Amino acid sequence: MTHLTILLDGLAYGMVLFIISVGLTVTMGLMRVVNLAHGAFAMIGGYAASVLVASGFPFAAAAALAVIGVALVGAVAELTIYRPLYRKGELPQSLMTFGFTFVVIATLTTLFGTGMRTLPIPAALDGLVDLGFRAYPLYRLFLIAVGLALFGLLWVAVDGTLIGARLRAAVDNPRMSQAVGVNVNLLFTLTFAAGCALAAFGAVVGAQLLPLDPYYALRYLVLFLVVVGVGGLGNFKGSFVAAIVLGIVETSCKYLVPSLAPYIFYSLVLALLLWKPAGLMPARSAR
Amino acid sequence: MRNATNIRGMARWCLASAAGVLLAAAATAASADTVKVGVVGPFSGPFARWGTQFQQAIDVYQKQHGKSVNGHTIEIVYRDSGGPDPVRSKQITQQLITRDRVNILGGYVFTPNVVAVGDLVTEAKIPLVMFNTPTAAIIRKMPYAVRVSHTLPEVAEPIATWALQNGVKRVVTAVSDYTPGFDSEAAFIAKFKEGGGEVLESIRIPLATTDFSPFFERVLQQKPDALYIFGPGGPPTVAMVNTWASRLKPAGIKLLCTSETMQIDLPQIGKAALGVVSSFHYTETVDNPLNVALKKDLVEMFGPNTVPDLASVAAYDGMELIYRAVAKFGPKLTAEQAMGLWKGMKWESPRGPMEIDPKDGDMIQNVYLRRVEERDGKLVNINIHTFPMVRDPWKQKHPQ
Amino acid sequence: MTASAVHGAPRARPAAAPMLSPGRVVLHAIPWLLVIAAYVALPDYLTLGTNVLIMILFALSLEIALGYAGIVSLGHAAFYGVGAYAAGICAIHFTNEPLLGLLFATAVAAVFGLITGALILHTQGMTLMMLTLAVAALIAEAANQAHALTGGDDGLQLPALKPLLGLFKFDLWGHTAYLYAGAVLLVWFLLSWRIVRSPFGRSVNGIRQNPRRMRAIGAPVWRRLVAAYGLSAAMAGTAGALSAQATGSVGISSLSLLTSGTVLMVLVLGGMRRLYGAFVGAVVYVVVQDLAAELDPFRWMFVIGGLLMASVLFFENGLMSIVDIVGRARASRKSPPACGPDRGPAPKVTP
Repeated sequence: MTHLTILLDGLAYGMVLFIISVGLTVTMGLMRVVNLAHGAFAMIGGYAASVLVASGFPFAAAAALAVIGVALVGAVAELTIYRPLYRKGELPQSLMTFGFTFVVIATLTTLFGTGMRTLPIPAALDGLVDLGFRAYPLYRLFLIAVGLALFGLLWVAVDGTLIGARLRAAVDNPRMSQAVGVNVNLLFTLTFAAGCALAAFGAVVGAQLLPLDPYYALRYLVLFLVVVGVGGLGNFKGSFVAAIVLGIVETSCKYLVPSLAPYIFYSLVLALLLWKPAGLMPARSAR
Repeated sequence: MRNATNIRGMARWCLASAAGVLLAAAATAASADTVKVGVVGPFSGPFARWGTQFQQAIDVYQKQHGKSVNGHTIEIVYRDSGGPDPVRSKQITQQLITRDRVNILGGYVFTPNVVAVGDLVTEAKIPLVMFNTPTAAIIRKMPYAVRVSHTLPEVAEPIATWALQNGVKRVVTAVSDYTPGFDSEAAFIAKFKEGGGEVLESIRIPLATTDFSPFFERVLQQKPDALYIFGPGGPPTVAMVNTWASRLKPAGIKLLCTSETMQIDLPQIGKAALGVVSSFHYTETVDNPLNVALKKDLVEMFGPNTVPDLASVAAYDGMELIYRAVAKFGPKLTAEQAMGLWKGMKWESPRGPMEIDPKDGDMIQNVYLRRVEERDGKLVNINIHTFPMVRDPWKQKHPQ
Repeated sequence: MTASAVHGAPRARPAAAPMLSPGRVVLHAIPWLLVIAAYVALPDYLTLGTNVLIMILFALSLEIALGYAGIVSLGHAAFYGVGAYAAGICAIHFTNEPLLGLLFATAVAAVFGLITGALILHTQGMTLMMLTLAVAALIAEAANQAHALTGGDDGLQLPALKPLLGLFKFDLWGHTAYLYAGAVLLVWFLLSWRIVRSPFGRSVNGIRQNPRRMRAIGAPVWRRLVAAYGLSAAMAGTAGALSAQATGSVGISSLSLLTSGTVLMVLVLGGMRRLYGAFVGAVVYVVVQDLAAELDPFRWMFVIGGLLMASVLFFENGLMSIVDIVGRARASRKSPPACGPDRGPAPKVTP
C-alpha cells in the first residue's frame, strides 16, 4: 500500500501549502495587491511561535499567540504600507513588498542569527499511528485534518455568513459595495490581517515540512505564488484544489522519478496555466 | 579679475584632490606594518551560517593570539560571496587584490567560487587558504593554494568501512543532486563495493526539496540494511535526518553519513539521532586543550549556544597558517615564501594533529568514526575510532 | 491662409530620426562620457564597472519587454542565463573567438525568447507573470540536470578567449572587458533607440496601453508582442554572454529567481519608461549593494530593502523621475509648456 502512503504524504504537504497560500489568494484576489511579502508574514509567525515555545509556552498557546501577533502586525502593515499601494499598480507593489521582505529577513537575521529555528511538535502529536497497512506519522494526519477543517471553516464563513457575502461583494465590485454601505476599508484591513494570520498559522503547523530559517520568506515564495496563480486569485476553493493537486503530483513524482520531479512540477504548472489562464476556479466574474 | 579667481579656484581644487588621493591611498593600501587578509564567504542568504562561523572562529583566534604577530597587525577584510556564484566571487576577489591590496586570501566555501579565481590568484601571486571547497581535485590546479578543511572522499570512506564491519551488506544511497553529493556518493560506493557490499539504488534528491518523505518511502521499499545520505547543510539536511528517523529507523534501517550529524545541528534533529554513526574529520568532543579553549572562548564571546563546526575549525586553522606566515615573512611575504612554509608544515589543531602535504598542498588529518550520544542532557558526538593522518584517497587513486 | 496655418503646425514625421538639438546631444552624450571617464578615473574598479555595464544592458532588455511592451516578466534571468551558457558552451566546444560567441549567444537567446513568447504571450496579467516564472524555473532545472553540457551546479569555466578583433587581449584586470561591454551596450542602446521610435516600437507601446484598441485597428497584437519579447530576450542573452566572457565563468545562479528579481528591481528603481532609467537604476543598485555588502556583509539586505521601499514611496516613476521633476521646474520657469509630453520643443510653423 505504498501508493496510499504517497497519497497521504502528498495530501499533508498540499494541506500545508493550502494553509499558507490561502491568505495570499485573498490578498491578491481581493485587494489586487501583488504581495510578495506573504512569506515574510508566515516566517514572522513561525519565529514568534518558536521563541514562545523555547521560553516554555505550550505549543497550542504559542501558536495562538503567534497567529494573533501576526494578525496585528498585518493590520498595521495594511494601514501603513499597503494602503498607499492599492492605486499604484503591480510593479511598485512588487518592489515595495519585495523590499519589505528583505527588511524582515535582515531583521530576523540580526535578532536570531543565520541558523535554522526549531519548532518542536507537541508530544501528544508525535509518534506513529497504526493504520493497518503500516505505521504512519500522526502529525501528518493531524495536518490533513487541520487543512480540511480550515477549508470547511472558510467555506462556511465566506459562503454562508454576512461578512463572507460582503467580502465576495467587495471582490466582485468594490465601488458598488461601497455604494451600498459596505465599509470596504475596514473589510480590507480585517481581511488582510486574517490572511497574514493564516500564513503564520501555516508556517507554525508546517514547520516540519517547511523548516524555518531567515531565508524562508524567499525560498518558498514561488511555491505560494504558484498555488495561488494555478488556483485562481481570490478563490480559496481554487487554492485548495491547486494545493492538493500540486502537492500530490509533486510527492508522487519524487517517489516515482526522483530526479525528474522539478521538471514535472513546473511543466504541470505551465500546462495548467495555459489551459486555464485565470486559474482553476477564478473568483471574479468576467469584467 | 576672472582669471585670478579661476586660478585660485583651480589651485584649491588641485590641493583638495591631491589631499583626497593621498588619504584614499593611505586608507586603502595596507600601512607599512599591516597585513590584510581577505576572507571570501557567504555572509548573507541561505548559507550565511558559514560566514558567521568563519568570523566567530577568527575572532576567537585573534583574541587568543592577539591582533598582531611579531609587530605586524593582521587585518581581516570580509567579503560576501552570497552563495555558489563564480561571477561574484571573481569580482570580489579581484577587488580584494586590486583595490584593498590584500596580502593573503582565505575562505571560499563553494567549489565553483574558488575555481573561478584560480587563474587570477595564480597570476597575481596571492597565497590562498581554502576554508572549505572539499572537491578533491581542485587543489591541483592552484599552485599557490593550500586547503585546511577536508575532502569529500576522505570522510566518506571510513563510514563505508565501518558499515561493512558491522553487518551492513546492502545499502541505498540518497544524496543531494549536486556535485559534492556525487563526489561523496562515488567515494562511499567505491569503498563499499571494494569490501563486497551491494548498492541497491542511488537516489538523487533535488536541492530545493523540502519534503523528503517520498524519497525515503522509495528507500523503504528496497529494504536495505542501511541508507547513506549526503545533504547540502542547514534545514534540508536536518529534514533528511528527521525523515529517516520517522520512516526508516523504525524499520531497522541504519543511517550512514558524514557531516549530517554535526553537534551544531543535533538540537534540531533531537533524540532521533541517538546511536547514529558517522565519519568526519572534526568531532566537537575531541579532548585536546586547543579544542577545549576554542569551545570555551566561543561560548564566552558569542553566547551559551555557540558550537563550533567544520567551518569554525577550518577558519581557526587557516588563521594559524596565516599567522605563522606573517610571523616569518612580514607584510612583504610572497606566495612562494608562504607555500614554502606551509607545504610540509605540521601543527596541532583543535581537531587533532594536522599536516599539509608537501606534494599538493592538501591537508593530512585524522578522520574519526563517531556516534551520537547524550552527555549532560546534550546530544554530542563521541569518537569510537580514529583513522590517523589520512591522505585524500581520490588523489592517491588518480595520480597526476 | 493655408489649411496648415489655420490648424496649427504640421506633425513631425514619425519615422524620422529623433529630433536632437545641440543641447540634447550634449545631454545624451553625458552618460557615455561618464562611462569613459570611469574607465580612466577608476582603474581599480573596472570589474565593478563592467558588471554595471552588463546590468544596464540586462535592465534595458527588460525595459523593452516591460516598459514598452508591458510584459511583466519575472523570469528574465532565463534569457540572460541562456546567453551566458551559450557563450560558455561556444567558447569550450566551438570557437573561443569572442565576437562569434557573442553573436551565437544572442541568436540562441532570441530563439528561446521567440519560442517561449509564442507559447505564453496570448495570456496577460498575473497568469503571464506566473508563466514567465514557470518557464524560467524549467530552464533553470534543465541547466542543472544537463551536467555534461552546463557543468550542473559547478557551472562552466571558459578557456582563454582570443583577443578581441585580433588586437585587444582579455587581461585579468578587466580593461578590455570594460570597453568591450561599453561598446556592445552602445550598439544595443542605439538599436533600441531606433526601434522604440519606429512604427513597430510605437505599435508595441500602443499594445501596452490598450491591447483591445490595437486589435480593433487591425494590429497583429500577438505577433508584435512575440517579436518584442524575442528582441528583449536577444538583448538579455547578449548581457549574459558578456558576463560569461568578461568573467570567464558561468554560474547556475545566472538563471535564478534572485537574478530575475534583481534586474526587475534595477529597472523599476531607475524608471521604466525612459531608456536611461536602466543606467540610473543599474548604477545605483550595483554601487549601493557593493558598498552595503562591504560595510556589513550580514546586513546589506536592510539597505537594499529600505532603498526599494523608499523609492516606491517617494519616486513613483523611478529615480529618473527626478529628471522629469527638474525638467518641469526649468520649463515652467523658462517658457509655456511644450506641446506633447516627450517630444521636446514645439515644431516650427511652416507655411
